[in-house]
Formats: sequence, C-alpha cells, structure tokens
Amino acid sequence: MKYKILKALDVAGLQFLDPVVRLICGEEPKVQLSKIGRFIVVPVIAFVVFLWAWGYVAPKHATKSGEVPTPSVVANAADGIWIFHKRENVKSRDYLLQGERKNTSLKKAQERLVIVLEEEKKASSLVTEAQGALSERIAQLQEPHKRELEELKALNKSVSQERKTALSNLAESVSEDSVGEKEAYLEALRDHNRLSDQEKESEKLISAKIDEIAGMKYQPLIDARFELKLVAEEKQFLQKRIEYLSKNNRSEKVAEYEAKLGEYKATLASATGKELERTGSRILRQEERIERVADSSYAQPWTFPRQIKRSLMCVFFGFILASMIAIPIGILCGLSSVFMAAMTPFIALFKPVSPIVWLPIALIVVGGFIPDPDKHWFIGAINSIPIIGAYDLNPAFIASAITVALCSLWPTLVNTALGVASIDRDHINVARVLRLGFWSRLFKIVIPSALPLIFAGLRISLGVGWMVLIAAELLSSSEGIGKFVWDMFNNGSSDSFAQMFVVVFVVGLIGMILDRTMIVFQRLVSFDEAPTSI
Amino acid sequence: MKYIKRSIIAILAAGISFGFAEQLDVEKDELKFGFIKLTDCAPIVIAKEKGFFDDEGLSVSVIAQPNWKTLLDNVINGELDGAHMLSGQPIAATIGFGTKAHIITAFTMDLNGNGITVSNGIWEQMQENDEALDTERPAHPITADALVPVVEEKLEEGEKLQMGMVFPVSTHNYELRYWLAASGIHPGMYTETDKGGRTDAQVELSVTPPPMMPAVLEAGNIQGYCVGEPWNQQAVAKGIGVPVTTNYDVWKNNPEKVFGVSASWAEENPNTHLAVVKALIRAGKWLDETDASGTLVNRIEAARILSRPDYVGADFDVIKNSMTGFFYFQKTDKRPMPDFNVFYKYHCTYPWYSDGIWFLTQMRRWGQITESKPASWYHETAKEVYKPDVYLTAAKMLLEEGNIDKSDIPWNTDGYKPATSEFIDGITYDGRDPIGYLNSHDIGNKDSLESLASLN
Repeated sequence: MKYKILKALDVAGLQFLDPVVRLICGEEPKVQLSKIGRFIVVPVIAFVVFLWAWGYVAPKHATKSGEVPTPSVVANAADGIWIFHKRENVKSRDYLLQGERKNTSLKKAQERLVIVLEEEKKASSLVTEAQGALSERIAQLQEPHKRELEELKALNKSVSQERKTALSNLAESVSEDSVGEKEAYLEALRDHNRLSDQEKESEKLISAKIDEIAGMKYQPLIDARFELKLVAEEKQFLQKRIEYLSKNNRSEKVAEYEAKLGEYKATLASATGKELERTGSRILRQEERIERVADSSYAQPWTFPRQIKRSLMCVFFGFILASMIAIPIGILCGLSSVFMAAMTPFIALFKPVSPIVWLPIALIVVGGFIPDPDKHWFIGAINSIPIIGAYDLNPAFIASAITVALCSLWPTLVNTALGVASIDRDHINVARVLRLGFWSRLFKIVIPSALPLIFAGLRISLGVGWMVLIAAELLSSSEGIGKFVWDMFNNGSSDSFAQMFVVVFVVGLIGMILDRTMIVFQRLVSFDEAPTSI
Repeated sequence: MKYIKRSIIAILAAGISFGFAEQLDVEKDELKFGFIKLTDCAPIVIAKEKGFFDDEGLSVSVIAQPNWKTLLDNVINGELDGAHMLSGQPIAATIGFGTKAHIITAFTMDLNGNGITVSNGIWEQMQENDEALDTERPAHPITADALVPVVEEKLEEGEKLQMGMVFPVSTHNYELRYWLAASGIHPGMYTETDKGGRTDAQVELSVTPPPMMPAVLEAGNIQGYCVGEPWNQQAVAKGIGVPVTTNYDVWKNNPEKVFGVSASWAEENPNTHLAVVKALIRAGKWLDETDASGTLVNRIEAARILSRPDYVGADFDVIKNSMTGFFYFQKTDKRPMPDFNVFYKYHCTYPWYSDGIWFLTQMRRWGQITESKPASWYHETAKEVYKPDVYLTAAKMLLEEGNIDKSDIPWNTDGYKPATSEFIDGITYDGRDPIGYLNSHDIGNKDSLESLASLN
C-alpha cells in the first residue's frame, strides 16, 4: 500500500508529499521530519515572507497611475471578479426559471432589495459625511499654507515692484555713450529676472504643498465609497434580477405571446377573405416568434472564469495543431538527414519569430478564408459541437490558436527529431534482423523509443503556448484571459492594478497545473525511470 | 438604397394597417453590438440594461472593442451587428478613406462630450504666456493663443509639439485641428502620400486609443490630447494634465457619435434595424430626463451602470462628474456643464445631413479627400450615409406607443440644421453651402469655384 502511494506520488510529480506518507507509516521519523522541513515548511515560509514583504513595500510605492495593491486589495479584486461572475450566472439562470421556483426566487430577491435600498441610503449618507469631514480637514490643513502663500505673494510683489522702480530709475540715469553703465544696467536686469524666477519658484513650492493636501488620501472616505459601490452594485443586480424573474422571464414572454396567439386564433375562426389572409400570416409569424423565444437564452457577458475556460480551449486547439505538425515532421527529420538538412533553414528562420508578428498574419489569412463568419460552414460546424459551441468560436479564436501553434511547435519538432535520431543502434539492428517494414519499424521501434523526448518537447511547447496565448488574445481581442487583461487595463479604474495581479496568479497557477500534467504524461511513457526536472 | 426605402415604406404601410402596438417582426433577435470604453456609449448600454432592447424582443450582447479600427473591421466582417461609431467613420468608410465599406447610420448617439487636455508642463507655459490663465478659475473659452509661443519655441529647438487624437476620421481629430487652426497653428495636412497628416505641421497629431491617452501623456510621448470622457477627468484625477477646453467651446452642440451598421446588414434586417433604433431613442430619452428644476435625474444611475467593468469600467466617481453635468478643469476648478453630454435634447438623435456634410468639409479641409468636389457631391454622400427615413419610422412607432412626445422629433425637417456661428472662431457653418464654408477658413484646403465649374 505504502509503496503504491509513493509510486503514484512519484509519477504525479508530487514528491514533496513523499516524506509525509513515510512519516505516517512511521518510517525513520527524524529523516522524514527534516525532509518535510526542507520541502514543505521552507517553501511555505518563503511564500509567507513574500506576502509580508509585498504588503509592506506596496503602500510605500505610489505612482500617479495608481498605487501598488497590497495582498488584501488583490484579494478584494479577486472577490469582485468572482461576484460579477456569480451574478451573471444567476441572471442567466433566472431568465430560464419558471413556475414555483421562479416565484420563490422573485420573492427572495424583492425582500433582499428592500434591505439593500435601506443600506444604500445609509452608505450614501456615510459618504456625504466622510466627504464633509475630508473637505473640512483639507481646508484646515491648507489654511496656514494659504495664508503663507498670500503673504509671500504680497511680499514678492512689493519687492519686485521696488526692483522695477529701481531699474527704471537706473535706466533713466544711464548716459547715452557709456558702455559700462549699459552693461551694468543689463546686469541689473538679469539679476531682477533671476530673482523673479526664484520668487516664483518659492511660490510654486507652497502651491504644490496646497495641491498635495487637496489630493490627500482619506481612508474613511475610501472605505465609505467602497461600501456604497458594493451596495449600489447589488441594488442594480437585484433590480435586473427581478426583471428577469418577472416580465422579462422566458416563460412569461412565451405565455404573453401565446395569449396573443390565442386571440389571433379566435379571430381566425370568424375571419374571411382579406381578414383571413392577414390573420393567417399573423398566426404563422407569432408561432415563429414563440419558437424563437422558447429556446432563447440570456445574453451573458463574458466573465473571467468563462474567459479562462475559453483560453484553455484555445491553447489546446493550438497545442494539438502544433503537435500534429511538429511530430510527423520531427520524425522525418530524425529518420532522414537529408530531410533534416532541408528543414534546418526553416526551423532556424521561423523559430525566433514573435507571436505579435504571427497574429496579424494569421488574422488576415483566417479572415480571407472566412469572410462571413456567421454563414461559414466551418464556424457553424465547430459551434454546433455541444460543449465547445457554448464558447462562440470565431475567426479571432482560430487565429489565436494558429498563432499559439506557430510559436509552440518548435520545441516538439526539435525534440522529436533528436529523439528519433538518437535511437539505440541495437534497436535498429534488431529491426533489420527481423526485416520489419517501414510502418512497423516506425510504430514498434522508432516512436516508442523517442517518446520520452517527444513528451519533453510537448511539455515545453505547452508552456510556450500558454505564454504566447495571452499576448495573442490581447491583440486579436478574442475573448479570453488576454482580452480580460486588456479590458481591465483600459478601464483605468482604481481596481485595474489589483485585477492585473489577480491575473498574474491565475495565469501562473494554470501554467503550473498544465506543466505538472505534462510531467505525469512524460513519466508514464518513460520506461527508464529517468528523473524529470522540476 | 432603393430597396431600403421600399422596404421601409412597406413596413410603414404594414404598420398602419396592423396598428403599432405590436412588436416588430425582427429578422434577427440575438445581436452583438460593439463599443469603445467611453461614456458616450451610454445609449447602447442603457438600452440593454434598462430593458429597452428586451421590449423590442431583442437579446443584445454589448462587447468592448480595443480600438476604432478593430471595431469598424468587426462591423464590416459581420462579427458585430452594429456599433458605437465616430461620426466620421461611416462617412470615411463609405467614401473609401481607410477601409472601404458602405456603412450607414440612422441614429446620432450624442452631442459634445470631448475635451482637450494638455500636460501640466504645457499648462504652466501657457499660464506664463497669458496672465489671465494664471488663476484658479480662468475665464472660458480658452483658445490656443497661449499655446502659440510654446509651439514656436519648440520649433526653434527643432522639435514639434506632439498631440494625441483617437482616429484619423474622429471628431477629436477635427476638433483639435479646428482649435489649433483657429489660433493660427498649422496642424498638418493629409496628402496622397502622407497618410499620417503631418505635412507642413507645426504641431504633429498622432493616433492613440482613448483608454491609453492618460498613460501616453504621462509617459511624455505626447504633450496633449483630445479625447472623450472619462479620459479627461481621469487626467485631472491622477494629476497628470489639465483640460483646457471642451468641444462644447470649440463648437457648441456638435455631433459626436453615431450608431453605425453596414448597409448590407440594414438591407437584410430592416425590421431589426428599426427595433434597434426604437430602443436607442428611448435610451436617449431616459438619459436626458430631467425633473422640474432641470436636474438630470437618471444620470447617477447611468454612471453606476457604466462603471461596471464590462462597460466603461472607470471609477464611478470619475464617470459621475461629466455624466451628471459637471466638469473638473483642475482639481480646484469644478464647473457645471449641463450640456457636456447631450443624448436627447435639441433633436440630437436625428441623423442630420448637415452633420455629415460638416465632417466631409473637414475631411476636404485637411486633405483626407484629396480632390475638389462639387457641392452636390457633399449632399449626395451625406444622403448615402445618413438615413432619417429609418429614424422617422422608428420615432413614429414610438410616438404611437406613447413612449415619446411629438415635440421630441423634428418631423418636417429637410435634414439640415439652421446655419450656426457658435464656433470658437465665430465662422458661420451652413450645411447647404459646403464650398463656401470650406473657403471661409485661413488654414487648410480651399476649393475655388472655377475649378469646381470645370468639374461640372
């Protein structure tokens, strides 16, 4: 049992749990404890120290574009993203609800709305209060500076006036042909200008102080506004929800249309001639409308979790495409040195090209093949696949996937070629002795012995693809993590910075999981127990 | 075109015989509309959030676009059904400046709403040049006169002042040019070979997407920009620039954004188009609703909706300023501007031919239209793009449903607004006489009547 678990952990790349299992089984507690200390406690401490350092440094580093968010602000932002997602899901469900469940939800929402309206009133009075307190405080703090500035301005003005009179007196007294006196006048004028500049500078210093006070941060106001924002958003959500549970609910709409249809049918019974024609076409149209509404769904906006799923789908599309190109070519390269020589310039030339360059090319090419996406058979076909279709695959998605493929196929290609080229001579000889044909030699000898290296290549490819994808989505504005990043950046709100940090952790975490998964595959196909790098 | 007219007449006839209380038979009920993160996308967002689209039996997704070019491309290639567009975009696309495609509009989304912001450094220099600006609340309108010495100084150093606008055919480009040229600063000409519009420029203009403006200004790549809200208020809030003027001062109640769709889409979906315009008119009305004292009653709620991350997404407090009729020119200088955004008043949602012609004259003035064109061409082109028929049909239905008042809509206009001279330089614009207007400016292309005579 123990060894089975240990083996599973080993294959899954979770070796850090190894000592825990051994400890539980009572095997050399001392050794295991020191291992736990090294592989579990140390990383955890490092992470905690990182969080602490982050929380300590962040508030000290403010730019004009915003403050570096602390861990708690980032957690709040993550929460906001999640709430938005949940609310959209609720609305989308509400639209489809019917009967008793709809009514109970409606009642609940209405009850909640009453509370929220009350809360909103409270929150907004708190904001006004805080605003009042802040402006009072600002005025108080600015008061001495303002007085100082006024005094300084008056002083500077009188001094400057004095100098000006002195200068004009000097100018009067300068005789026409004295070069020296004129030089002296110029010197005096220069002095005057220099002093005026200095005086202005000193005034500016004080105004800067006043401005700084005007822009001061006032935590109670920030908190009150945040509170109000939360409440106001919930209010909006509830109002919209109530709409989707009452008059804009699907079943309500259908019922309404059906009632109309009934009316028409009643008229039809007594209609003749022109009247019949009109009512007939009305009935048909009404039936069509009912059919359309009956399987309509709520137009749900893209939320981050859905965008993540779409990104994952895009990376797998690209990854599979890359593998389908890279593995066969890699095998051919490994088998034939002539083919390898032919491919080398292409590999060398295209490998370093950035996704930013591939993407517009891919967009143009895809756009050329699919001019009218709504009516194109390919888009129609992939969107009719059950689960995938819900993610609205469009040309931008395909272009992003192709970009991922173009950037990520190289490690697989090179590794496959290497793996195939370095097959043990003995294996080839055995194949010769057995007089295996090309295909059986390929599938029985070449591919199996190259598999570990192919998978090592695939693992790198997937990592590269995941990195490239975000950039591709950002450029092509294909819904996904990249588009989310771009939208949030464009929002330029006080949350934007924190939302970026959320993305950093999400992308990192998913990248890590993908990598771990590939390690498992790699281990499963490695028959030589070769250790893989972390 | 004839097809559209005919189908509209047919619908009208049908409508009359059926009575208007019924929902339109839309050809397509799941629609995708694009928008750019600016507060003037409000009519689309409000029509969705307040259920006006739902009332027409439409299920609409509203999708943020990264920039104006992508937005237009997505409308052309059918990825989007329609979009929040710059007034110049349907016109430029139709005449083939930039991407060529026949785009039409039957709904003007708003008036005004832009500002010109300069960096703190430039503002200080302007204050040095003009003592009157050196107070906490300088008198408005502020012309570019105080900017002239700054531009000249730069030129002597062998540099040109750099300013940002959002798209070559955007209102912002023309307004910024107008503001500069009104003070004798040459903003550069577009020519056959110079698609960047920098020939002879004293100040060079370049394209930056709206949401990027504050960041680019802060980075020092540009020293000023003209953009819609909330990106001017954002500059004030972050303390990186000073809005010197709004386009309300450059041209009082100028047309800003339109709702554009491709002509082929409108042809295939005439009823859907009508339904959409109906919902948008109602959204405009909702946005401009006032109480007895003239306060805009729905704007706070609108600002709250727009501040959602999937719409404009900027902070509520930043959006709120301009949306509720206030504008911060500096942190200490908050002024009421009730008409900063107009969504319904002054018959503004009507697709005026004269608006289209103004944009055409600007395209000609700055060389985006490279050849002289006769006045008749201006009128024809405007009629190709602006579709008051659709608008009036939709408005008529709304009137019969009791959703709007009769006085809200200019029923009997020929599509030309009366001549106005409410520009920063006081020059009169009359849409009926584009050539005369073109020739009344000092800087920019002029078309002599003789050369036009030879064309005819």
